[in-house]
Amino acid sequence: MNIDQKILIVDDETDFTETMAKIFSRRGIAVDTANSCLEALAKMEADPFAVIIMDVSMPGVDGIQCLKKIKQQWPLSEVIILTGHACVNSGIEGMKGGAFDYCLKPIDSNELLEKIELACEKVRISCD
Amino acid sequence: MADIIDWIKRTLFAGTDTRLSPEELQASFKTRYVHFRALLTANNNALEAMAEMEQALQSGQTFSMAFVRSRSTQVLVNVYKMIQHMIAMSDGRHHQLKPLYEKISSQVDGVINKMPRLHSGKWIVPLAEINRTMAGQVGEKMANLGEVAGLAGVETPPGFVITVSASSHFLTANKLQPEIRRIMQMLDRDNLAEVNEASATIRNLITDSTLPADLEEKIHAAYAELEKKTHPGITVALRSSATGEDLAGASFAGQYHTELNVDKESLGRIYKEIVASKYTSRALLYRLQRGYRNRDIDMCVGCLPMVDAAVSGVIYTRDPADSASCYVTLSVVRGTALKVVEGTGKTDLFHVSRQIPHRVLQHDIANKKSGSIEGIEQPDILTKEQAKEITRIALILENHFGNPQDIEWSIDKQDRTIILQSRPMVAAVAARDLDASSVKPESEGSVLLRGSVTASPGVAWGPVFMVRSSEDMLQFPKGAILVVEHPLPEWAPLLTRATALIGETGSIAGHLATVSREFGIPAIFGVDNALKKLGNNQIITVDGDNRLIHSGKLENLLVRASQKPDLMANSPVQSLLRDLLQHITPLNLTDPNSPFFKSAYCETLHDITRFCHEKAVIEMFSFGKDKHFDKHAAKRLISDVPLDWWVVDLSDGFREGVNVKDKTIHIDNIVSAPMNAILTGIYTFPWAGPPAVCVKGLGSILFRSTMQPGLDPAVGTPLTVKNYFLISSNYCNLSVRLGYHFAMIEAFLSDLLTESYVSFTFKGGAADTKRRIGRIELLSEILQQFDFRIEKKGDTLMARVEKRPIEFLEQRLKVLGYLVQHTRQIDMVMNNQASVNQYRKKFMTELTTMLSQEKMTT
Repeated sequence: MNIDQKILIVDDETDFTETMAKIFSRRGIAVDTANSCLEALAKMEADPFAVIIMDVSMPGVDGIQCLKKIKQQWPLSEVIILTGHACVNSGIEGMKGGAFDYCLKPIDSNELLEKIELACEKVRISCD
Repeated sequence: MADIIDWIKRTLFAGTDTRLSPEELQASFKTRYVHFRALLTANNNALEAMAEMEQALQSGQTFSMAFVRSRSTQVLVNVYKMIQHMIAMSDGRHHQLKPLYEKISSQVDGVINKMPRLHSGKWIVPLAEINRTMAGQVGEKMANLGEVAGLAGVETPPGFVITVSASSHFLTANKLQPEIRRIMQMLDRDNLAEVNEASATIRNLITDSTLPADLEEKIHAAYAELEKKTHPGITVALRSSATGEDLAGASFAGQYHTELNVDKESLGRIYKEIVASKYTSRALLYRLQRGYRNRDIDMCVGCLPMVDAAVSGVIYTRDPADSASCYVTLSVVRGTALKVVEGTGKTDLFHVSRQIPHRVLQHDIANKKSGSIEGIEQPDILTKEQAKEITRIALILENHFGNPQDIEWSIDKQDRTIILQSRPMVAAVAARDLDASSVKPESEGSVLLRGSVTASPGVAWGPVFMVRSSEDMLQFPKGAILVVEHPLPEWAPLLTRATALIGETGSIAGHLATVSREFGIPAIFGVDNALKKLGNNQIITVDGDNRLIHSGKLENLLVRASQKPDLMANSPVQSLLRDLLQHITPLNLTDPNSPFFKSAYCETLHDITRFCHEKAVIEMFSFGKDKHFDKHAAKRLISDVPLDWWVVDLSDGFREGVNVKDKTIHIDNIVSAPMNAILTGIYTFPWAGPPAVCVKGLGSILFRSTMQPGLDPAVGTPLTVKNYFLISSNYCNLSVRLGYHFAMIEAFLSDLLTESYVSFTFKGGAADTKRRIGRIELLSEILQQFDFRIEKKGDTLMARVEKRPIEFLEQRLKVLGYLVQHTRQIDMVMNNQASVNQYRKKFMTELTTMLSQEKMTT
C-alpha cells in the first residue's frame, strides 16, 4: 500500500463516512470526513487534501458541483466520485469536471484503495 | 483532413523537437508514459465492463436496469479517460475523437433514458367499446375481456375501464413519479426487507394522495351509468389490468390487486389501492426477474358489476403440464373464483374432452382422487351440461385468440355462464427429453409424502424451508424447497430463490402454480400435513410429475430436472441492452494495417478503445526515434540465437548500468517481468519446425501470397517490419509477425489488481480461411482452459484475462509465449482432425509440464 497522503471523504450519510474512515484508519491512512460540500470546502481551506472521495447526491451543493469547485481552487487535488446510483450523464459530467475516477457503491474496499493509490500517484507526479 | 495537417506540421517542424535537452526529453517522455499507463488501465476497465454486458445478454441470467446503467457508465467514463490520455500523450492530436465520443455517448444516453410516451386518451372507456388493439390504453386483461365481449355466444359482465391516462393523471397531479423514481433508484433489490419497506412507502404515498376531483367525478358518472344498466347501489369488482404485460409472454399472474364487492363509497379508495399495487414487493421482484422496468407497466382498473356466482373457477383449454393433452382442465369452487386463484381453497378438478360432445373424463372431488371415469354419479358441484357449456365457450376463446387460454368464469344463480378473464395459458417449461411416465418413480421405500396436484412438473432436490409468515420469507435460503400451507400469490418472490414448491392446499389454476410453471420450478399441491411431517433443512427430492416427495437426493430422478427458462427473453430490459450494445461492443477496427483503421471509422465505444490503444502504443514506440532520443529508441535484442527482434525501453525495463547509446541489448539485461515470462514460454521447448504439408496445402499458401503481397513479411508498414517489445519493469507489449500471422501479447503486472491484465491478439495465417479459423479454434480452446475470455471475429482472435495476481498472469504469459512459438504455420494442417487432435494433445502436455516445472523451481 502506498497511500502517504491525506484523504477526505465527503458524503451526507454519516454511517457511510464513519465506516469508511474506520476502514482507512485501520490501514494506516490519514483520513477526515465531511458531510456536505460546504464542510468539505472549509476543510480544504484549512488544510488541502490530496485525494477526495465524493458522493454525488447530497443536499445543498451536489457532488458534481462540489468537484468543480474543488478542481477550480485546488487543481492538483484528485477527486474520486463514488455514487450510489449510476447515471450515464453524471458520469460524463463528472469526468469533464476533472474527476480522477467515477465509481459505484457498493465498492470493494480493496478496489477503492487501489483507485486512491493511483490517484495519490498522480498527485505526486503533478507536484513534482 | 486534420490528420493530414497534423502530419505535415509534425514532418515539417520535426526539427524543433531535437532542440529539446535530454532532461526535457526525459520529462516529456515520462509524462507520456504516465498517460500511457493510465490509458491502459482505462482500457482494461472499459473492456471488462463491456464483457460483463455481453455476458449478461448471452447467459440468460436476470439483470436489472441498475446493472445496465452502472456498466454503461463504467464504459463511458473509461473511454472518456482513454481519449483524454490519448490527446495528452500525442500533443493534442486525435482531438477528433471528442465529437465522436459525444455522438456515441448521446446515442447510449438516448437508448437508456428514452422517455416513455405520454398518455392523453380518455380516462374512462366502456367495456363494450374495447378490443385487443386497445391494450396500451386499458391494459391487457381488460383489452382481452373487451375482445371476448364482442364474440357471439359468449357472455361477459357490462362495465368500464379507468384507463392508463387516468392513472397517469392521478400520479402526475400529485407529483408522485419523481419521488417513486427516487425511492426505486436507491433500492437494493436483493434485500427483501428493504424491498418490503420501499414497497410500503410507495404504496402509502399513492393511497394517501387525493384523487383529482375531475377524475373522481368521471368515475362516479361511469358508475351511475352502470347502475342504470343494472340496478341502483350495485357492488362491483375492481380488477387490476396492467399495460405492457404481453411484451415477452410473461403471465404477471396474481402480481396486482383485485377487490371484490366494492360499493359506491369505496370506489375512489380501492381504485387508489389497485393503482398502488403496481408496487407490491412481489410485483417489483417479478418485474425485475422478467426484465421489466417500472416504466414499462402502467396500471388500469376494470370496474365490473359483481356476478351473483353459484360456482366459479378457472378453465385451461389444455393441461398446463402437457400442452398436447386432448382434454381441458377445470378447477371449480362454490361462490367466487378467489379461492382458486389465491390457492387457499380445496377445488374440484375436472378433465373434459376437447372433442364434441365434451365428455367428463375425470373428476377429482376437492383434491381427493376418485379415479372415476365416464359413468360416474352426477358430480354435485357442476352438472355435465355446465361442464360441457364452459368447455364449449373456452374453445371458442382459444380459437379466437389462437393459443391455449387460461379463463376465469362464473355461473350465476340464473345458470348463465359468464367470462371474467381470458389470457394465454402458461404451460410448463418446454418438453423435456424424457417422458415422465417412462422413468419409473423411485422405489416406494424413499417416499415420504404424496400430493394430489401437479401444479408444475419436473424434479428438483434441496433442503426444506417452511414459510408461515412474511418474517419467515426474509430468512428463505437460496436453493431451498419452499413448503407452505396455502400457495398464496404473496409467496411469489421466493420462487426466484426456491428449487421446488410444496403446498398443503391449492390447484393447478392458482397464481402461484402459474408462476412456478413460468419459472420452471416443480410444484406439488394437496400434500396433506406437509408442514407437520417435514422438518426444516431436511433434504428431499420433489417429483412433480408423479406428485411424490422422497427422502434424500435421488440422482436417478434428477435426470428429469427441468431446464431453467430464459426469463429475460424478449423483455424490455433485454431488448434495451441489445439496442444499447449496438453502440458499445461491435468492433469494426480490427486490422491496424487496414486503410479503414482511422478514427473516422469508429462507430462504437469498442472501436474508440481499440483505436486509442493502437495509437498509444505507436506513440510510445516511436518517441525515441522521432525525437532522436537514444534512451528510448529501439535496440536490437541479442541472445545466443540470432534474432530479428527489437526492444524499446519505456522505463526501467533494462538492467541498471546499460549504456543507452548501444544499438543492441542482450537478453540477460532485460529486467521486464512480463517480457521474461513470455521469453520463458517461447524457449522452454524448441520449435519442432513447420508441419509436413501435403501439396494441396502448400498450393493454397502460395496462392494467398500472390493475391496479397501484404502477407510477405518483407513488406509492411514501418511498425510491422520489426518484431518488437515495448517494455518497462512491469509492462510488455510484444508485436510479432511470424510467418504469415500477426500476434500481439500485452501485459501489465502490478500489485494493483485494477491495472493488471494480459491480452492477446492473433490474426491471419497463410492457409485458406477454413484452416486459419481451425487454428483460431484450437487456440481459443486452449486459452479458455487457462481462464482467458475469448472473442473471435473472422480469423482474428482476441483473448484477455484481467485483475488477477502477478504470479497468475505470469503463467498466462508463458502459455502465450509458448503458443506464439509453437502454433507457427500449423494452420496448414488444420483441415485434418487427426493433426488437430495431435497438436492439442502435444500443446496441453507441454504447457502442463512447463507450468509445473515452474512451480517446482520457485
